Amino acid sequence: MKSLDFSQNYFELFGLRPEFNLDAEHLHAQQQQLLASCHPDRFVNASDREKRLSVQMASWVNQANATLRDPVKRAAYLLQINGVEAGDESETTSDTDFLMEQIELREEIEACRSGDDALPCCDQVSLKLEHRASQLAQEFVSHFAAMDLEAARISGRKMQFIQRIQQQLSDLQFELEDS
Amino acid sequence: MALLQISEPGQSNAPHQHRYAAGIDLGTTNSLVATVRSGEAGCLPDQEGNCLLPSVVHFAADKCLVGSSAQAMQALDPLNTISSIKRLMGRGIDDVDRLGQVLPYEFVNDSQSPVPRIRTRTGEVSAVEVSSEILKQLATRASQSVGDELAGVVITVPAYFDDAQRQATRDAATLAGLNVFRLINEPTAAAVAYGLEKNAQGVYAIYDLGGGTFDISILRLNQGVFEVLASGGDSALGGDDMDHALGEWIIDQAGFTDLDSILLRQILIAARKAKQALSDTDSTEISIQHGRHQWRGRIERAQFEALILPLVKTTLKACRRVLRDANISKSDIAEIVMVGGSTRVPLVQSMVEAFFERQPMCDMDPEQVVAIGAALQADVLAGNKPDSDMLLLDVLPLSLGIETMGGLSEKIIDRNTAIPVARAQQFTTFKDGQTAMSVHVVQGERELISDCRSLARFELRGFPPMVAGAARIRVTFQVDADGLLSVTAEETTSGVVADIVVKPSYGLTDKEIETMLRASMDNAREDMEQRMLKEQQVEAWRVIEAIDSALLADGEDLLSQTEIERIMQYRNKLETSIETASNEALKQMIKALEDVSEFYVAKRMNNSIKQALAGKQIDEVSI
Repeated sequence: MKSLDFSQNYFELFGLRPEFNLDAEHLHAQQQQLLASCHPDRFVNASDREKRLSVQMASWVNQANATLRDPVKRAAYLLQINGVEAGDESETTSDTDFLMEQIELREEIEACRSGDDALPCCDQVSLKLEHRASQLAQEFVSHFAAMDLEAARISGRKMQFIQRIQQQLSDLQFELEDS
Repeated sequence: MALLQISEPGQSNAPHQHRYAAGIDLGTTNSLVATVRSGEAGCLPDQEGNCLLPSVVHFAADKCLVGSSAQAMQALDPLNTISSIKRLMGRGIDDVDRLGQVLPYEFVNDSQSPVPRIRTRTGEVSAVEVSSEILKQLATRASQSVGDELAGVVITVPAYFDDAQRQATRDAATLAGLNVFRLINEPTAAAVAYGLEKNAQGVYAIYDLGGGTFDISILRLNQGVFEVLASGGDSALGGDDMDHALGEWIIDQAGFTDLDSILLRQILIAARKAKQALSDTDSTEISIQHGRHQWRGRIERAQFEALILPLVKTTLKACRRVLRDANISKSDIAEIVMVGGSTRVPLVQSMVEAFFERQPMCDMDPEQVVAIGAALQADVLAGNKPDSDMLLLDVLPLSLGIETMGGLSEKIIDRNTAIPVARAQQFTTFKDGQTAMSVHVVQGERELISDCRSLARFELRGFPPMVAGAARIRVTFQVDADGLLSVTAEETTSGVVADIVVKPSYGLTDKEIETMLRASMDNAREDMEQRMLKEQQVEAWRVIEAIDSALLADGEDLLSQTEIERIMQYRNKLETSIETASNEALKQMIKALEDVSEFYVAKRMNNSIKQALAGKQIDEVSI
C-alpha cells in the first residue's frame, strides 16, 4: 500500500522526544487518541479499501505502542533509529562478570524452587532483579545521552537478559502458586 | 448534485436515518438477540415472551425446527436433534472423540474433509450449517420485531475462541445471509453493557462461565474506552461439563450398562435439571425411565459440588494466569462481573468470591448481558451514534506461531497482544529455483506443534526462481479487529507478490461455503446471481455514500478542483448504472472508483492521525 504515511518513527507518531525516559501515561493516552481515529470500528461502513487501510494503520499504532511501552524494546528501537541494530537473539555477552551474574541469578531461582519458603524467596529475587533492571536502564540512558551507542547497545543487551530471567522467575512463581 | 434517491429498505443512503442493527449472543446452550430502540438496549423475546432461544436444531423430514420446539424433540429423536453445536465450531474429527460423550450424534466417517459432519435424516450437516440455522432464526426475530431489515449484526464469541472457531462463526453468519459488522468477545460485550448501562469505570474482571466455554477477561474502562488488558479461559469448559460429570455419577449410581443415545440424552437432561434445582435447594430427586433402564435417586448439593469442584478449580487457575498476564493484582480490581448461566451455581459464586476476595457483581441478568453489550456496539457501528466515543480495544487470546524445524512452534505474535496487529517474518528458499513454500500456522502456548492448535497451511506460490538462499520472502501475518488471521507474502528483491492458497486445518474452504450458500439458495428458491447482484448494489451505495460524506467533510481542503471532478465523474457513472448494470460491471465500476480515490482515502487517514494529535507539538507533550 503505497499511500500511508509510515515515514514517522514511533516517537514522532506519539509526539514524544526520542528518549528512553518517557511518560507511560502520556504514551497510553496518545495511543488511545490515535486509535480513536483509525480503529477499524470507525470504518465499518466504509469501502473495503478504507477498511484495509484502517486495519494497517491501527496495527501500526499498536505495534508502535508495544515497542515503546516495553523498556527493552524501547532501548533497541532507540538504537535502531540511530542506525545501530541491537543484535541477534543468539548473540551472547562476552562480559564474563555479567555472565557470572546471570548464572548466579539462575541458581538463586533454582534454590527458591527447592527451598522451604519458595514464594518469599522468589519475592526477594524479584526485588533484586527489578533493582538490577533499573540500574541497567540508567546505564543505557547515560551512554545514549553521551551518544556512545556501542556501550548503550551492550546495556540494552544486558537489560534483555535480565528481562528473560524475570520471565523465568515469574513462570516459577506461577507454577508455585498453582500447586 | 444527485437526483432524488429512493432507497430499498436496509440500504438507506441517508445518513441521519436510523439503521437497525442487532447484537447476537450465539451460545452453547441458549442464544439471544438484542437491539437498541429509542436509545434503550433490550433482548428481543419470541411470541411466547422468551428471550432465550435454546441453541437446538431439529431436522424433521420436511423442515428444520430451531429453539424450544426442537428441544422438545431431543429425548425422542436425539440423532436428528442437534444441541451444543458451538462445541464443534472450528473443531476437527479428532476433537469429536474427546467430545463424543457430550455430543451423542452419528458422525460421518469421511477422511475427505477435516470438518466433522453429523448424519441426519435430511443429509449431512456441519457445525457451521447448524449454527447458521440458529442465526437465521434470531435475525428473523429481530427484523420482525423492529419491522425493518437489519443493516448489520455484531455476533459475540468466547474471548478464548481461536482463529478457526472465529472463522467458523463468520462462515455461519455468511451462510445465514447476515452482514457482520464485527465479532466481539463475550466478556468485552458484557463489559460494554456494564460500562454504558451502569456507568462503570476502572479495572473490571469479567468471569464468564457459559454452557460450553469459560472466559476470564480483565478490562480497563475509561470514558467510553474498553481496553482489554488480558484474557484467558478454556473454550471447552462449561455447564455442559457439569451436566456430564453429574450424568456419569447417575450412570454409576444406577449401574446402567449398554446405553443408547436416547437414554444418554435423557440422563443429560435429568442431570441439567438437577443441577439447576441445586442452585436453589440442598437436595433434589432424579428419575430416569427408559425401557428396562429405571432409576430413581436423590443427590445432595454437597455431592454435586464435589463432582464439579475440579472444573471450578480449573477456572480459577485461568484467573490467576490472566491476572499475571495483565500485570494486575487482585486489589487493583474494582469489580468482578459474573456472566453466563453457569455462574448461577452457588459453588461457582462462592469460589470466585473467595479467590478475588470480594463479592462478585450480578446487577444485570448474567444470561442477557452479553447480547445487550453486543447490541450497544452494533448500534454504534451502524452509525446511529455519531457522537459516541466508544472504542473497544481487544487482544489476541492465544499466541500465533509457525512450524519450524523439528516440529517446534516459533511464536510470531504473543497472546494478549492488542489487535489489530501485523508482524512480518523474513524467509528464504533452500533449493535452487524454488518458487513455492508452505507455512504452517498454529495457535497456542506450547512449544511442540503437536500440542498447539493447527490453523492452516498457507502455500505461497509464484516466486521468481533464484539460487538457494537468495530470495527474501517477507510474510506478513495480519490479525484484524475480529481476531482473524490473514497472510500475505512478497519476495522483496523482485517485488513479486505470492499467490496464496489457504488450507484450513479445521475449517471450510471458500468453495465449500459457496456450495452451501448455493444449496441454501436453491431451497429458498432465490437465484444466486440475483442475490449477488443485490449485494453488489448495496456495496455500490456504500462506496458512494462513503465518498460523498468524505468529500463533504474535507474534499475541498485536501483535493484540487480537477481531482474532485475526476472522482465525481467515476462516482456519478457508478450511481447512474446501479440499477441497470450487471454484477460484474458494477464490480468493475466500484473498483475503478476506489482506484481513482485511493490516494484521497489514504490522505484522509493520514490527516485524521495528524488531527488526533493536532495542537500538541513535540515540545509541549514531552516531559
